[in-house]
Amino acid sequence: MRILLSALLLAPLVTAAADDPASVAFFEQKIRPVLIEQCYECHSTKAKKLKSGLYLDSKAGWQKGGESGLPTIVPGKPDEGLFLRFVRHLEPDMEMPPKKPKLPDAVLADLTAWIKMGAPDPRTESTSEVKRADKSWWSLQPLAKEFKHAEIDGFIDAKLAERKLSRSAPAKPQALIRRLSYDLSGLPPSQAEVDAFVVAHQADARQATEALVDRLLASPRYGERWGRHWLDIVRFGESNGFERNVIVDDLYPFRDYVIRSLNDDKPFDQLIREHLAGDVLGKFQPEIEIGSAFLVAGPYDNVDNQDSVAQKVIRAATLDDMVTATGGAFLGLTINCARCHNHKFDPIPTEDYYRIRAAFEGVVHGRRTLATLEQTKAFNAAIGVLNQERGKVIAEQAELTKAIEAKAKALLAARQYPRPKVDSLLTEEKITTVAARYVKLTISATSASPLTGVGGRISEFEIWTDEPTPRNVALASNGSKAAGVKGATAEDFPAAYSAALTIDGDEGAQWYIGRPAELVITLPRVEQINRLAYRTAKGRVLRDNSQGPTPCEYEMFVSLDGKAWKKVADSYDRAAWSPAHAFERVRKEATTPEVAQRLAQLGPQLAAVDKQIAAVPKLPSAWVGIHQPKPEATFVQKGGDPAKPAGQVVPASLSVLDLVTPHYTLKANADEGERRVALANWITKDNPITARVLANRLWHYHFGTGLVDTPSDFGFMGSQPTHPELLDFLAQRLLKHGWKVKALHREIVLSQTYLQSAEFNADAARADKHARLLWRFPPRRLSAEEIRDTLLATAGELKLEPMGGPGFRLYRYLSNNVSTYIPLETQGPETYRRAIYHQNARASIVDVLNDFDLPDIAFASPKRANTTTPLQALTLFNHSFTLDMAKAFAARLNGPDPIGQAYSQALQRRPTAVERSAAEKLIARYGKPAFCRALLNSNELIFIE
Amino acid sequence: MADSLDLTRRRFLGAMTTGMTGLALSRLLMDDFGVVVPPGAHFAPKAKQVLQIFCPGAASHIDLWDHKPLLDKYDGTPLPGPIEVTFQGKNGNLMKSPWAFKPAGQSGKMISSNLPHMAQHVDDMAFIHSMTSRSNTHGPACIAMNTCFTREGYPSSGAWVSHALGSLNENLPTYISVQDTRGEPPNGKANWGNGFLPARHQGVSMAAQQALRNLGRPANITLAEDDATREFLRTTNTEHAEAHRGNDELRARIAAYELAAKMQLAAPEVSDLSREPEHVHALYGTRDKNPLKAAYAKNCLLTRRFLEQGVRFVSLYCASRASNVDGLLNWDAHRTLKADYDRHCPVFDQPTAALLADLKQRGLLDDVLVIWCTEFGRMPTHQVGTTGRDHNPDAYTTWMMGAGVKGGMSYGATDDFGRRSVKDVATCYDFYATVLHLLGLNHEQLTYYHNGVNRRLTDVHGHVIKPILA
Repeated sequence: MRILLSALLLAPLVTAAADDPASVAFFEQKIRPVLIEQCYECHSTKAKKLKSGLYLDSKAGWQKGGESGLPTIVPGKPDEGLFLRFVRHLEPDMEMPPKKPKLPDAVLADLTAWIKMGAPDPRTESTSEVKRADKSWWSLQPLAKEFKHAEIDGFIDAKLAERKLSRSAPAKPQALIRRLSYDLSGLPPSQAEVDAFVVAHQADARQATEALVDRLLASPRYGERWGRHWLDIVRFGESNGFERNVIVDDLYPFRDYVIRSLNDDKPFDQLIREHLAGDVLGKFQPEIEIGSAFLVAGPYDNVDNQDSVAQKVIRAATLDDMVTATGGAFLGLTINCARCHNHKFDPIPTEDYYRIRAAFEGVVHGRRTLATLEQTKAFNAAIGVLNQERGKVIAEQAELTKAIEAKAKALLAARQYPRPKVDSLLTEEKITTVAARYVKLTISATSASPLTGVGGRISEFEIWTDEPTPRNVALASNGSKAAGVKGATAEDFPAAYSAALTIDGDEGAQWYIGRPAELVITLPRVEQINRLAYRTAKGRVLRDNSQGPTPCEYEMFVSLDGKAWKKVADSYDRAAWSPAHAFERVRKEATTPEVAQRLAQLGPQLAAVDKQIAAVPKLPSAWVGIHQPKPEATFVQKGGDPAKPAGQVVPASLSVLDLVTPHYTLKANADEGERRVALANWITKDNPITARVLANRLWHYHFGTGLVDTPSDFGFMGSQPTHPELLDFLAQRLLKHGWKVKALHREIVLSQTYLQSAEFNADAARADKHARLLWRFPPRRLSAEEIRDTLLATAGELKLEPMGGPGFRLYRYLSNNVSTYIPLETQGPETYRRAIYHQNARASIVDVLNDFDLPDIAFASPKRANTTTPLQALTLFNHSFTLDMAKAFAARLNGPDPIGQAYSQALQRRPTAVERSAAEKLIARYGKPAFCRALLNSNELIFIE
Repeated sequence: MADSLDLTRRRFLGAMTTGMTGLALSRLLMDDFGVVVPPGAHFAPKAKQVLQIFCPGAASHIDLWDHKPLLDKYDGTPLPGPIEVTFQGKNGNLMKSPWAFKPAGQSGKMISSNLPHMAQHVDDMAFIHSMTSRSNTHGPACIAMNTCFTREGYPSSGAWVSHALGSLNENLPTYISVQDTRGEPPNGKANWGNGFLPARHQGVSMAAQQALRNLGRPANITLAEDDATREFLRTTNTEHAEAHRGNDELRARIAAYELAAKMQLAAPEVSDLSREPEHVHALYGTRDKNPLKAAYAKNCLLTRRFLEQGVRFVSLYCASRASNVDGLLNWDAHRTLKADYDRHCPVFDQPTAALLADLKQRGLLDDVLVIWCTEFGRMPTHQVGTTGRDHNPDAYTTWMMGAGVKGGMSYGATDDFGRRSVKDVATCYDFYATVLHLLGLNHEQLTYYHNGVNRRLTDVHGHVIKPILA
């Protein structure tokens, strides 16, 4: 419960007007939930039995007070009034809430702060709570057009002045270049860049800063940094999640597209349209089509479920992911909350959820060709000729084979196979009693292939003795050994599929037969044997097609020394498994030498054509989704249950924004692509909320917290903006710049608000601990990616090229029906790329990155957590990656002043005398790597101010 | 040698800690909203810790816990009603359990004869026979049994408890997930994930076969070098923090390194099973010839040591995920029920029973709530073409015992064949409403804001199952 965690957030504010938005936000976030949870049971209109005649569910309630007649809350005076005395347990027998532990100190601090602020309380009605937003909700209004200020700083200063606060002095150039470099490129500056900037800054601060910002915004590193932010927002992940969690190897073009689009400063309205309908808007333009991979970049369940109800539930969940992602990323609306019922807090009826879903009804996860028209034509031309050639060869082969078959048929008619065919349950050979120490089974065909034994399966192999009570001496428990190559492996389960499974006395698990298809059983001693048998079925009672191919052509041998083998049985007098198997038995006889010769020529010819076909470069494809032109009708699902369809809906926009942006409604049978284009246009044309949400995201990443600190929720459950006017101002600027964000970045980072120092100020902090009002630049820890990139850069190991392409992996990927991701113990040089190029599989453990709050992308992550944990410390201190980087870093320190060089490379500053002497001591004793390991773990490295 | 170095290190760390004026180090840890203070219990708890035992793969209720005499009688005849198509396809006729059920304990509870050791505990157990799941697929159902949601991204029950109640021993993780030697359960780490709660609430993987990740000092670095490096780092960071007052995160990170150092001492100590006497090893079966059983027994013993040391929540897994080798890695007996459970029951039975007996004899069950989970049940019919059972999300059994639980009782019931839960039908929401209740938490009040909703472990459902409370 975040409310209770925030002992210090915003704590004692100076008294403020009770109705200003920040005070109301404080009330909504900190106070109302506590009152509801702790007090309403006995002190509200809903209470079963009202206690002391006191209502705490309205302002009028506590103003009137309870039966005692004493004041309950005295605004501005926390020491007066019964309320606080009771909850602080200062009055014996009147401890509140009764029979519960005292409220946490953090909550008590909030309550005190609230009363000190003047007890702002927007609750006017005494009978019913305002528990939800309606169409008058702030975020659903048109953008303001006229503003009191012409620049960002004006809005910030005005709000600070209200609180008797002011902006800090400008930041020092060293701090500033570090801040800007990380913010715009995600990488530290070099010492040389710092030095040059400091000189230029002294000459002309404004000009130097502008030049720096322009350089950073023009660098390809910008797209890698801000692209990563965007990938968080659009829940980009490179495996499908759920049970099977299969890795997706061809979604990286979408990641590269995002980076490229940002570097090109593509207008964001266009970017959003491409995300929703790039395949329609840019058909045969792969660089645009790939944008619509957004729709299929989320998790989805691909388990093979035979239950038809379950299949519908899975499809509903798959579409829900698209609705959720679209609502959150572009509109800051939790449309998904209206899936089962009307939205509980925002004015979104459940029909609207399904209207939006109708836009995606034809979208299916999967890969498809992604090529230009020219590429497609060229490919078809090249492949067409070859396919013709291939067809000719195949036709001739077929003709020859037909002749052979006719002859074979005649031959087969004359043959007799006295014994029954092989049985998956049990294939038995009774043989003349023979002494044997070794038994060999060679397999030349299985039920699946008349040509090879490879791929067959055996669950048990038995060797029975000639005795009054025969024993199966093949069993491992008898001391026997089985040898045979296995045709499948489960890397994390070595015993699976092995030949040993044929003699474990258990008919469950099978040997998967590899090459050569041969099983040798070694008995511990010579035995007199008279019966050999094998089974393929798992279990003895019922057949089952999951048992796999049964070996059906075989020979059996015995030996005393394992060298000289004597054949004791074969399958050739058994009925053949199938006509195809029978044909194989007489194929040679039925083939004339001439035909054989011609076939021998055709084989290589076919292989040659196939090779040519394979050599034609395949058309590129990607995980961009497949689209069914005429999707199923969309119905409202009662309670979100696909088994309970209600009325049909047509593709349409959300009614909630009808007053501010033109509505659209399509026909029920509208074309699939048309639906998504309509939605994309509605979201990006004259839609105030889209611009507002995007402007806030920029602010969020620049300052660590958005003006609205719930960046993907602008609804009732989200937060209200600290500076509503500024938010609209920024949104208008964005529109003015034609949705190009680089210009808006520039305005923000060149504002005095951004350029101010991060210096702490105890007085200001008392009023606004987290600097939400920006009396200083809020210092921050680096993100997971920045930390890994920084370690690599500091060690001189970071490879900036190639930009893009298939990602690298920090795990080993294992797949055996379901997938497993095993973190690498050692991260080799092939992983020394920027972290954005890590193949971002769901539910994988990624050392260092996960520790520093890289989210698992089950959901969009519009706002990352920022935690400090002992496990983080263990990883960064002990993982081989840090040690490798420390070693590489140490190796770079080869100048006359290694310590100075180290501080310069890691922290872009000179060491102090104290630091220098401590470092000298550590290096003298344990060498440079120890010193580098410490520096790479230091706070200064990963905090910026 | 190692011991004396350890002692030096202990003193060193002790000295460091006093610098923090006796304040628990973990109190200095931070997340986005400031210093970490767990919200705490809503009312007096009956249980302080939780042991969750999880048998993934859908352990069959009608072959382990839920006796259905009519299934024996109608063996081989059709289940009344149309032939059903379930997860893997068509179902055949009713199939009786390959094992007889026998009465156990004072309560005379009927339990599979394939679990002779577990039978000793029935008088302490409260069975919930009427569970139902929202998914018929292992992965989603497993995470539902841990998070109450069938999709990934939600906090597991252990993470919620860590968030609500915090740590009892800051030298060890608050929430430990002990995985089977065969691997992770279906959907892997989402089962013990923190979801949208801060990362420190996620279950930390530790098992007899797998030490805490990155815990150990790197092999080529001596203890002295490690300590000297740490000391240099501490000095550097302290000076930096002094120069940047007002940034609590900096202090938090210094504390995190000190906690990590303490964990480096405490974790190997608690994991060292050689400290246990031989008769304890014998009780659990850690030296058993069956390597799977021995491995699981070690994890059971390790679990007891975790609980003894005050780990708040331990999830102990017996078996792992689905694989191409059906029924081999977990309880998913699609084809050969008898062969599969003759493999799994002996692995599970003695070590689990020993763990429960050991907890009881040490008085730990006064504080520890034990919950046994699986993701759903199995069909009373056989799957066409096999001697196994398909998935059945409409009926399964879980049980609880220990702190605050009424023993020797059975709650809810399935129909005559175990096809569906029919009496006092229960869900994972009810299950966890009850678990939270025993921990002194109101499941409707334990909330956390995420993407537009004040989320709860129990979503928008759940009722405390009062009849099983002591």
